[in-house]
Amino acid sequence: MLKKKGLLITIVLMLILSLALVGCTEDPAEENGNDVNGDDPSEAAEDVDDSLDRVLEAGVITVVGSGDYPPFNFYDDNDDVVGFDVDTGEEIAKRLGVELNYETSAWDGLPDGLRTGRYDAILGSMAINEERLKIVSFTTPYYYSGAQLIVRADSGITDTDQMEGKEIGVVTGETFMEDAEGLGAEVVLYEGVNQILLELLNGRVDGMITDRLVALNGMSQIADGDELVFAGDLLRLEEMALAVRQEDNELREKLDEILEEMHADGTLAEISKKWHDGEDITIK
Amino acid sequence: MSELPWDFTVIPFYFPRFYQAAWLTLQITVLGIGLGLVLGLITSLMRISKSKIIQGPALFYIWIIRGTPLLLQLFIIYFGLAEFIDIPRLTSAVIGLGIHNGAYMAEIFRGTIQSIDRGQREAAYSLGMTKTQAMRRIILPQAFKRSVPPLGNQFIIALKDSSLASAIAVRELLLTARQIGSSNLMMLEMFVVVGIYYLLMTSVLTVLVGKVEKRLKVSDYRS
Repeated sequence: MLKKKGLLITIVLMLILSLALVGCTEDPAEENGNDVNGDDPSEAAEDVDDSLDRVLEAGVITVVGSGDYPPFNFYDDNDDVVGFDVDTGEEIAKRLGVELNYETSAWDGLPDGLRTGRYDAILGSMAINEERLKIVSFTTPYYYSGAQLIVRADSGITDTDQMEGKEIGVVTGETFMEDAEGLGAEVVLYEGVNQILLELLNGRVDGMITDRLVALNGMSQIADGDELVFAGDLLRLEEMALAVRQEDNELREKLDEILEEMHADGTLAEISKKWHDGEDITIK
Repeated sequence: MSELPWDFTVIPFYFPRFYQAAWLTLQITVLGIGLGLVLGLITSLMRISKSKIIQGPALFYIWIIRGTPLLLQLFIIYFGLAEFIDIPRLTSAVIGLGIHNGAYMAEIFRGTIQSIDRGQREAAYSLGMTKTQAMRRIILPQAFKRSVPPLGNQFIIALKDSSLASAIAVRELLLTARQIGSSNLMMLEMFVVVGIYYLLMTSVLTVLVGKVEKRLKVSDYRS
């Protein structure tokens, strides 16, 4: 009898806990901050927030990437984080008149680091998608890439429609999982691109889907990378942008302005050519 | 309070998307515990042997496995051994969890076997039992009863440790949370979802172990 009571108490406690948690965010519209419905007179008038002032007064913009995504953001031999994303961040900070603080964190930590205010923006090759737009705002894209299927050259696979029922490796958290599922394949989730390249070479997965540029870089770095080939065309085009909190409208507008300048005056193209063998990935 | 950045109202909505992962977590855990029990029992018997040749491997196994993180062991089994033998992901996870828990269970069994009063063994011998008979009929049944509470503890640890299989591409609860959470950027909410799953499963496990304990009347030995 005592045991039953104990279980009951546990369940009741869990219900109370979940209700308490739910109660904290009863008004999703308010939380999303994208809708000025006049409930709160102090916020009703216009898109005024202190996000841009906050950055300017601090004299530093803190952005984050995984630090494990060459050639976009990764650690070089001196243990400095470098790459296309980092250079883009440097240029943005320069035009804002502040310092860049490029932090790295496991991909898992990025969303909540942004949402809780640890970072001003995610600048780590994050692709815009519908689901993410419910949680964050994206700036204008700073580069374009896409999902590419890679297979072993000797596998006989030449196009994406041959992957049905096969196993495709994808990095955990990347949008490419849906592409793999779209091909009717079994998805296997790995920690990083290099891990999947090895698994593919070892024949433990039949293919992998990742960003085309990341794949090119990985295949050129890894031993026996020439045994791997692209199969078919890009599965989908992706637009990469900085993610900011939804209420940080002023910051996002300023970042948009800066990015458009950088697109227009060729700065972004220049950074791209530096990191991608002369290729300009900042145009569609 | 309304300024919290999280939306916990999505939790019930996402809950069903983890059924399959929870099932996988349960499978790894149960199979891992089963393997661990077998390995643990064998190792504990070797460990209490008087022969150095029999004792040696047991000591070595416990030393290596208890002294290194499970994450490393899983990596070595799945990625390291790939050079020689292709062990599938799920099998690697079960083997890793089994070997890991076997070392701890061996020490649990050794402790409880050695805790059985000397007199029990002497009484068995005086009845004409051989060493093996005394162990099997007298010592082990009593030791097993005493092992139930610490084993229950170890089962709960094993259940939670099964989350490390996420590092070798087994899509159990944690890896599923990380995938969905980075896709929809509601990482913390997804972690709360799997937290509830783990809590539910460990609660059931606690109740089950409690039932076994009661049935075996472990408390008879107290006083």
